[in-house]
Amino acid sequence: MNSKKTMTLNLTDQEMRVLEELSAQKDLSKTAILRQALKLYQLVDLKLAEGGKLFFEDQKKEKAELMVL
Amino acid sequence: MREVIQLFDNAAKKLVDAELFDEVTVEHFLETQKKWRPIVKDAAQQLYRAGADVGSIPQHFHWDWTSKEADLRVLAFTFFGISCGGELQGLMKLATVGHVARHPEQKGKPIVYVDYLETAPWNIKVLTQAQGKNSRFGAVGSRLIEAAVRKSQEEGFKGRLALHSLPSSEPFYIETCGMTALERDPAKQNLVWCEFTPEQAETFLS
Amino acid sequence: MKMNRDQAWVQKKAQQEDGCFVSVGGLVNALEKPAQAAASVTPIKVAFARFVQLARRERKLYLEQFAAKVDIDLVELMNIEKDERYIPALRTVHQIAKFLKVPEQKLMALAGLLKAKDATFQTAALKFAARSESVEKLSEEEHAALEEYINFLCEP
Repeated sequence: MNSKKTMTLNLTDQEMRVLEELSAQKDLSKTAILRQALKLYQLVDLKLAEGGKLFFEDQKKEKAELMVL
Repeated sequence: MREVIQLFDNAAKKLVDAELFDEVTVEHFLETQKKWRPIVKDAAQQLYRAGADVGSIPQHFHWDWTSKEADLRVLAFTFFGISCGGELQGLMKLATVGHVARHPEQKGKPIVYVDYLETAPWNIKVLTQAQGKNSRFGAVGSRLIEAAVRKSQEEGFKGRLALHSLPSSEPFYIETCGMTALERDPAKQNLVWCEFTPEQAETFLS
Repeated sequence: MKMNRDQAWVQKKAQQEDGCFVSVGGLVNALEKPAQAAASVTPIKVAFARFVQLARRERKLYLEQFAAKVDIDLVELMNIEKDERYIPALRTVHQIAKFLKVPEQKLMALAGLLKAKDATFQTAALKFAARSESVEKLSEEEHAALEEYINFLCEP
């Protein structure tokens, strides 16, 4: 389970900027941010596949469905 | 991952080798249903009949690890188990996504969350005493918490760890482990959210 | 992972953990819809507590027997019957509805997990709570005391 594989990732300037900002904000390496993103993507994907829906609730408690994936 | 660790054998009064692993399977879950569950239920009923305080009756005797089978394939979740003497001694489920620190000094930073942790009932003194026996192995829970802290470090979260403590476990997590009790969480049955900062995690490990 | 190999550390942890509950996971249904904060007592909540208790007693079951048959957490069952502010987990109400063969949605509304849509539901719950309260609370001694007091109040 712990054997690791390496891949090369090409990002646009904007994508790299966002990655660097998140890395600084979250105090995580860029690699850690991308691994978190992958985990979140899979988790959301599974829930949607089960028929669930993903909502954001704003401060007024109004829900907006997030159309993703 | 498989690693040899030590537990304390209460009968032999010495340290013995055990195994920490992350390749938890549904067979381990079935083992908890077959071997742990009946003992926990029985001990809980005995305690209840003896008029024990509600807080000392284990609240996990109806847990069903097999219901978490689908989570074994989800990257966001990591499972750890400890086995010794050919038997499962402890099991833990961690979430490495979806939770952030609430401690004022760590607010918003990613954190590993202990979703579930259970030690085999023969390792829990309160339960074995209800059946007139001694507990078998010591430090099982602590070794699982240690694994959780090290997982947090591996993820780049610097040892940050959080859990919602059962009322009967608050003394262990807050006083013994040294976690900070931050707030009662109405979203989680008013259980107390406890957290390790990176410094507290290091203190626990040393 | 490089776990701690210091024997003194392991022994210290074993000593500190001795006699402690270290389980994590909340009440048995923690994975389901999270329970809301404790609600104020309403007739509907009182009715739910009474309903579960009377249904259990009608079947001549002790708490632990009922919990085992219904496959729910014993401590949660105790909270349902004894704490009228307690909000049970979804799975628990589902299991009770299944066992008692009552409509799940209506029992969820009674438990405070769903909004009761019409006034007749609330009225029926209020009536039941009032009637079951009187049946549960009065022992023979209390009943005799009440009769005596009523006689006293009615004296010219």
